[in-house]
Amino acid sequence: MIQIMSENAAGVGTIVHEISCVSEAVQYAVDLNKKKKLKTMACPGLDLKDRDSLQDLCQSSGLNFLKEPLRDHASIIDTSLTWVDYGIAETGSLMLASDLEDIRIATMLAKIHIAMLPVTKIRLNTEGIEAELDEILKKNSPSYTAFITGPSRTADIERVLAIGVHGPVELHLLLIKEMQP
Amino acid sequence: MIKTAQDMKSYKKQIRKALADSFLRSALDKFNTAYRENRPTVYKDIDFNTFRDAIAENKDSLIPFLEILFEEFKSNAQKAGAIIHRARDAREANEIIARIAKENKVKKIIKSKSMTAEETFLNDHLEKQGFIVTETDLGEWIIQLKKEGPSHMVMPAIHLSRYQVGELFEKQTDLKFDSENIDKLVKVARHELRPKFLEADMGISGANFAIADSGTLGLVTNEGNMRLTTTLPRVHVALVGFDKLVADLGSALRILKLLPRNATGQAITSYVTWIKGANQCLNTASGKKQMHVVFLDNGRLALSKDSVFSTSLRCIRCGACANVCPIYSKVGGHKYGHVYIGAIGLILTLFYHGKDNDRAIVKNCINCQACKEVCPVAIDLPHLIKKTYARVIKEEGKTPAKNFLMAKVMKNRKLFHFMLRSAYLLQQPLSKGKPMIRHLPSFLEKDHGFRSLPAIAKTPLRDLWKNLNPELKDPSLKIALFAGCAMDFIYPGHGKDLLNLMQKANIQVDFPKDQTCCGLPAMMAAEEITAKEIAVQNIKAFEAKQYDYILTLCASCASHLTHNYEKIFSEAKGPGMDFKLFTDKIIDFSSFMDRVYKFPQTDQDFNKKVTYHAPCHLCRGLHVTNEPRALIQKAGYTYVPSKDEDVCCGFGGSYSVDFPEISSEILKKKLDNVEASGADILVTDCPGCVMQLSGGLDKRQSHIKVLHLVELLAQKK
Repeated sequence: MIQIMSENAAGVGTIVHEISCVSEAVQYAVDLNKKKKLKTMACPGLDLKDRDSLQDLCQSSGLNFLKEPLRDHASIIDTSLTWVDYGIAETGSLMLASDLEDIRIATMLAKIHIAMLPVTKIRLNTEGIEAELDEILKKNSPSYTAFITGPSRTADIERVLAIGVHGPVELHLLLIKEMQP
Repeated sequence: MIKTAQDMKSYKKQIRKALADSFLRSALDKFNTAYRENRPTVYKDIDFNTFRDAIAENKDSLIPFLEILFEEFKSNAQKAGAIIHRARDAREANEIIARIAKENKVKKIIKSKSMTAEETFLNDHLEKQGFIVTETDLGEWIIQLKKEGPSHMVMPAIHLSRYQVGELFEKQTDLKFDSENIDKLVKVARHELRPKFLEADMGISGANFAIADSGTLGLVTNEGNMRLTTTLPRVHVALVGFDKLVADLGSALRILKLLPRNATGQAITSYVTWIKGANQCLNTASGKKQMHVVFLDNGRLALSKDSVFSTSLRCIRCGACANVCPIYSKVGGHKYGHVYIGAIGLILTLFYHGKDNDRAIVKNCINCQACKEVCPVAIDLPHLIKKTYARVIKEEGKTPAKNFLMAKVMKNRKLFHFMLRSAYLLQQPLSKGKPMIRHLPSFLEKDHGFRSLPAIAKTPLRDLWKNLNPELKDPSLKIALFAGCAMDFIYPGHGKDLLNLMQKANIQVDFPKDQTCCGLPAMMAAEEITAKEIAVQNIKAFEAKQYDYILTLCASCASHLTHNYEKIFSEAKGPGMDFKLFTDKIIDFSSFMDRVYKFPQTDQDFNKKVTYHAPCHLCRGLHVTNEPRALIQKAGYTYVPSKDEDVCCGFGGSYSVDFPEISSEILKKKLDNVEASGADILVTDCPGCVMQLSGGLDKRQSHIKVLHLVELLAQKK
């Protein structure tokens, strides 16, 4: 299943890595930002501990850590690091409950979105997440749930594929093998 | 902004202009080919037919209950804070949306792609009220800058080149761009539109699904602009047609299996978003967005109760009917629809935008069935286009001269056949006794001179029959021949070849003399009553029960005699006709020779290369594809495939007379492919196609010979 997920995600332009833990993901995000000479990072929805360690790493690396609400920084988000809820292997898609505005802004406005997904949350196809999604939708409260498959794309000019028209230019998927308790 | 021709004269003018647009022509031709070639890859993992039938069945079961689904949606969405509206027509929808904007002191509006908003001309309305509206889908933004309507439902700016787009962007930004580089142009859009998202007070979107049992909208997109449109501004309005209502998430997910695959060849789009209710929005006092859903009727609820047209509401707006259409690929969307384009556009225009806008375009269907084949919800588009044309004629209250004549002549077989016989004499100055008419009088030559025309035979097959056809003493099979007009009056030689083959196999062939035209031309002209009367005459003429088969060498007749006869009699009111006995016995030539005759493998080798043209009504109408190609090889020839064998030749009966400028372009591409195959002989199994193809090759003075399959099989060394 991990292999199908990785292959199909890579097939639509997602950059996929398997890593062992969240702290490795945090390091990956900071390194990527440095390598690309980018300046700012946001990480809505992370645990306090992970968030703190990212913030420390940003500080020591000279990166600007953006605090929520992200709307205040809407035009300067370079990279975002977030969790996603499920992987859909057949299409290489990520399911992300993004009811919180900060999650939406981080994953829509950043140049690079780095998504973390525990490998245990990979399902084969949309039928495999149908019950979970339906449960979200049937609640009597607002919700905003996304399937994200690769970076933003268009073929509106001469049917030539171009990446990063409005949303992220790059989508990285970090498959996390072991989750710490 | 959109100027759809309202009469044939201005439509023809527009068509000629479109045909002269070399960028449009090459872009759409490439698209048409690429789309079809890519399809097997796109569907390698899932079975198209299974999903298509399931979705169609599910949609049909719900279409009568759209109002109930709406109430269910409303109650569920309201629980999550959404405000639900319903609009009777386009004006009411636009007014509701403008009112919402005013009440919320909105100045700037951003939009993501919505065909429904195109349908209501929402932008025009909002701009007139003083709002600043920016389209944010790249293609929609381009056509907004160009002040045009979309030319494709999924790729609205497909008619424009990168240079035209570059020019528009330069005008907009006062900067210079390297238009060669599409990536850079796309970045211009990103850079220019980003601030608009951040400044906007209101975002307007459409929706692909409105899920009743949870009150959720589903949106299927690629660029990410829709997510920004529904997230950043404090007010979100979604404009949704009643036809987008589905019962539950499962139904939406099932459609999602086909929609992106059929539309853009993707297994899924970059973003599929499920939005329910008034979500968090941190720049409002309440911390919540204001969320409105406006449901548009605009004729949909009436359609849902229409026994003929309700299936058009199945449409999920994938645009594929345009992608595969040989006519769309020649003239482009602006000349092939009003707001909605492609086959479905020719139908919906009447119901959503009135007969004036549909009057000319609805005639422009060649009935090749390509759209029907790819429709992900199994709408019988070619059939509904003719039904739409019939309704336009009815609404106009004036019978076109062509229909009037057709009704007079074709209902009366003797008069019809008398006229065909007279044509033999009338054509003499042109044919000079030769089988081909190479030059037409000058006033016709300009438009119709793209092919030579076959001459009417001196003696039709029906008159030759007695002398050709000895009664067999103890035949192994008894079949009846449905000759069709082309074989009977133009190609009686095909009949002679057939009889030679049949006598060898001891098969008795009868020619019921009261048979007449199959009626397809009448149906194509939306002359429904005539089509039905002709059908009755033929069924009576055949007394089908005495025959093992009713054989026809015309693919169009075969397809019409089976599928359309069934439609004619099942749609008809009043006492029924026992048509099944007749239609069940109809068989096309290839199937007969393969399955019944069991044409043997010959040990001769003619040492000739043969390519094949698949008639639309055989490969798509009757799904006969392998048999003719196998027969070519069995007969001792080398079959060499040519590109796009299953694409229409441009004949389409009277289509080639009504739209010669398009017919000739379709034929040109077909013959280019045939010539590129390196074949000596082009075989097909429909006399209409034989007529078109041989006429075109004759004009080219090509060495390639065109044969009906019967001629090939009857040849001896």
